[in-house]
Amino acid sequence: MIKIQHVSKHYRKVDALNDLSLEIAPGSIYGLIGPNGAGKTTLIRILAALLTPSSGEVWFDNEEVGKTPTLIQRKVGYMPDFFGVYPDLTSVEYLEFFAGIHGIARKKQASTVKDLLELVDLTTKGDALVESLSRGMKQRLCLARALVHDPEVLLLDEPASGLDPRARVELRELLRTLQAMGKTIIISSHILLELAEMCTDIAIMQAGRLVVSGEVEQVTRRLGGGRQLEIRVLEGVPETVQVLKDVPGISNVISENGDLLQADFIGDDRALHGVLALLINRGIPVVSFAPRSSGGRLEEVFMSITEGSSPS
Amino acid sequence: MTRPTTLAALLTKELRLRLRRERTIWVMITYLLVMGLLGTLYISRSGGYNSASVSSLGTGLYALLVFVQLFLIMFITPAFTSTSINGEKERQTFDLLLCSRLSAFSLITGKLIAGLANALLLIAASVPLFSLVFFFGGVGPDQVLMATLIFIVTAILVGTFGLFCSTLLKRPAVSTAMAYMFCVIWVITPWLLSALLQLNAPFGGGPRANLLFIGNPILALLSTISFGGPSIGTSYPLFGINLAPWQTYIMVNLLLTVVLVFLSMWLVKPDPIGRLSRRMEKRPAKKKATATV
Repeated sequence: MIKIQHVSKHYRKVDALNDLSLEIAPGSIYGLIGPNGAGKTTLIRILAALLTPSSGEVWFDNEEVGKTPTLIQRKVGYMPDFFGVYPDLTSVEYLEFFAGIHGIARKKQASTVKDLLELVDLTTKGDALVESLSRGMKQRLCLARALVHDPEVLLLDEPASGLDPRARVELRELLRTLQAMGKTIIISSHILLELAEMCTDIAIMQAGRLVVSGEVEQVTRRLGGGRQLEIRVLEGVPETVQVLKDVPGISNVISENGDLLQADFIGDDRALHGVLALLINRGIPVVSFAPRSSGGRLEEVFMSITEGSSPS
Repeated sequence: MTRPTTLAALLTKELRLRLRRERTIWVMITYLLVMGLLGTLYISRSGGYNSASVSSLGTGLYALLVFVQLFLIMFITPAFTSTSINGEKERQTFDLLLCSRLSAFSLITGKLIAGLANALLLIAASVPLFSLVFFFGGVGPDQVLMATLIFIVTAILVGTFGLFCSTLLKRPAVSTAMAYMFCVIWVITPWLLSALLQLNAPFGGGPRANLLFIGNPILALLSTISFGGPSIGTSYPLFGINLAPWQTYIMVNLLLTVVLVFLSMWLVKPDPIGRLSRRMEKRPAKKKATATV
C-alpha cells in the first residue's frame, strides 16, 4: 500500500501540490489525470524521491520515503516523460548498465537483460544502437530499464506521449502483463480514454489539488460522467421519451431507428433500477434495457472539472 | 557488494561511450603530433647533433616538452570532466542515475576516473616522446618521474575542478568556461601578484611571498629541472623537513582535490541546501536531547 499523506510542494511563487492525500492499493494501475501544471509530474517525482515535499509524508508499506535510504532504489522503477537514453550504446549495453547500477551482480546481468528484452519484445534489437530504435521501441526499452531490478512499483510519467496508435496498444498490453505479474503501476497521461480502459483507479488533479480519486467507474459516476442507457421498446416511443425526460439524472434522450432510445444517465445502480421499474409501472413494453459505461464521458467530466483547460 | 558493482557498471559505460567517439583518437593524434613537432623544431633550430653542448640541448628539449605537456593537460582535461554531471542532466539521464543504487561517491569517483582515464592515456602516450631526451643527456629518469607525478596530480586537480563545476552549474558550456578560467587564474595569479607587490617570489622573496606559489604547477615543474646549476625555487619547511616545491605542490593539490570531491559528492544529490539546513537543525536537537539526559 502506498500512502500519500497531506503532501504539499511549494516553490517561490507556485504551489505545485497542495495538501494532497491518496492511497494506492498494491497491484492496481493508478492513473493520474490533469491538465498542464496540475502537479502530476511533481507527485511522481516526489514518489521517486527526486523531489522533497515541502510538507507531508509518503509511505511505501511501513517505510517512509526520504527516511529509509534505499527504499526507492529497491521498490520503485521510474520512467520519466522523456526517454533518457545513451544513443551510442546498444540495447543490451544500455540495460546491462542499468542492471549494474542497480546492484545486480555481473553474472546475473545477461539473463536479466535477456528476459527483459523478451518481455518488451525487443530480442531482435539487442545489438542495435539505441539511437537506431523507433520511438515506440525506445519507450519499451525504457520500460525494460525501469523493470531491471524487478521493482514492486512502477512510476510511469506520460508513457504514451508521442507514440503512434500501434505503439500505444503494445504499451497498454505490456502494462496489463505487468499488472498480472503483481506490479503496482502509477501512470500519468492526458489520453483519458486510454486511462479509463487501462486503469483500475484514477485521480483527477487540478492546480496541485486532488479533485477526485477512486475506482474508474466510481469516479465517473460520482462526477456525473454516468452511463449511457440503450432502451428498446415494442411501441410507444414518444411516451417513453416523455417519461424518461422527467426522470432526475437522465438527459439527452434521443430516439434512433424507431424503437431504440438512447439517454445519458447519472446515478448509482439503485437509481438505475428505479428507472426500469418506472417504465414497467407505466406499462411501457421494454424489450431491452442496457446501461453502458461510456469512456467518452470521462473526457467530458475531465474537461468540465478542469474548467476547460487543455489536457497536459 | 553493491558499491563495486555500481562503480564498475558506471566506469564500463563511461569508457565505452568515450572511447567509441571518433574525437578521442583524433585528440590523441593531435596531442602527440603537437608535442613531436615542437620537439623536432626545437632540435633543428638548436643545430641538432652539431650543438656545442648536447646535454644542454637535452635539458632544453626536456623543459620545452614538460611545459607544452603541462599546457596541453590543462587545456584538454577540463573538457573530459566539466560536462560529466550537467551533461547527464542535459541528456535527461541524471534522474535515472539518482533512482539507482549508485551512491554519490560512486557517481563522482566513477565520472572522475573515466574523465581522467583519457587524460592519463595522453600522459602515458607521451612517455616515449620524453624518453627521446635521454639520447641527449642532461636529464635524469628521476626528473622525468617527478614531472610525470606533477602531470598526474595536475590532471587530477583540473579534472576534479571540472567535475565540481559540472555539479554546481546547470549549463555545460558555462561549467567548461569556468573550469578553464580556474586553470588560467590558478597558474597566472601567483606570478601576477608577485610582480605587482614586488615580492620577488619565488626566487628568494621570503617564506610569506613563497607561500603564493605553494600550489603553482610552473614552479613545481621548474623545481624538477636543473639548468646546469641548482634547482630553481625555494623550499618549504614542514615539521622540520624541507620540502621541494614539487613535493608541496603534490600535497597541497591532492588535499584540494579531496575537498573538491567531497563538495561534488554533496552537491550531486538532490536538494543540497535543504539537506544542509536539515542537518544543521538536527544538531541542536541532538545536543538538547543529550543535555536533558
